[in-house]
Amino acid sequence: MSTLTKVLIVLLTIASIFLCGIVVTYVANADNYKKKYDNLNSNYQAAKKNEDNAKTQLNNTIEEKNRDTEKLGEQIASLEEQINKLISDLANAERERDDANRKVNNWAAIVMDFSKTIENNEKLVKNALTERDLKEAELIKQDKELKDTTAALMENMAIVKQLQEESKRLLEEKTELQNKLDLYLRQYGKAVAEPTPVTAVQDVVGLAPPVKDIDLSGSITEVDLKNLLAEISIGAADGVKEGMRFHLTRGDKFICDVVILDVWPEKAVGWLDLVQEDQPQDQPQINDKVSTNL
Amino acid sequence: MSPVVQSHGKKITAADNLYTVILAVAFLVVLAAAVFVTYQCYSQYDTIFKIQ
Repeated sequence: MSTLTKVLIVLLTIASIFLCGIVVTYVANADNYKKKYDNLNSNYQAAKKNEDNAKTQLNNTIEEKNRDTEKLGEQIASLEEQINKLISDLANAERERDDANRKVNNWAAIVMDFSKTIENNEKLVKNALTERDLKEAELIKQDKELKDTTAALMENMAIVKQLQEESKRLLEEKTELQNKLDLYLRQYGKAVAEPTPVTAVQDVVGLAPPVKDIDLSGSITEVDLKNLLAEISIGAADGVKEGMRFHLTRGDKFICDVVILDVWPEKAVGWLDLVQEDQPQDQPQINDKVSTNL
Repeated sequence: MSPVVQSHGKKITAADNLYTVILAVAFLVVLAAAVFVTYQCYSQYDTIFKIQ
């Protein structure tokens, strides 16, 4: 065997040992990729499964979230409506509160005014009560005086009534005596002068006597148209007095007036007044009616 | 091949059998390495050459 062959054998052996050692070392230390692959694959499948579950859960969560979002949107909308309503109610309440405050202030002012008015009225009432007490006292006093005055007046009225009856009786006696004296003196063409009272009669302002109609009526017995005189059928016995005015009528027609100038017991003479001379048919004639009242 | 002792100042040389043994060792080492690699492949990948 040649030397070269021997060297090659040795080198081949050494190289084989070296390379085999390296290969064995590498293979022994090499990773188990299949196992890693299986592990990774199982991990991948588990992760995928987890991903699917997570996606499902995510979808469910998203759907639930959407439902919750819709519900919350509806609740938000309803709450916004409630908020708007409450805001409007608040505005109304504030307006009503302001109105109520104004009313309270007004009523407070009115109450203050009423209080002042009541105080003034109380003062006025006190003054009025005091004055009323004074007036009542004065009224009692005046009532007492009135009673006394009434009693005195009744007494005086009784006295006056007696004096009036006595005066009436004296006047009747005076009239009777006057008539007798007139009849007596008329035969001699004289008349009684008006007596002058010794004491002057004082004019006393009193009540006017009641007026009543004399209601005397008679007729024309003689007419003198030239002197405008006429004679009537009633005299002093019927109550005719000088100065009386009689109305002369014929039927319902007014002719003229007769003013008495002289009076006798059974007749009287007067002058014609308001005679219508331009109308002959309206001239006074005998038997025309005369009366004091139309 | 047994070693031959060379006297009389000649180079000592190994017998040829020695190299045969060395070659056998080398062969065994390579074989052991191949077996080991095969075992590892089969145990880990359930096949020797096929790529799944």
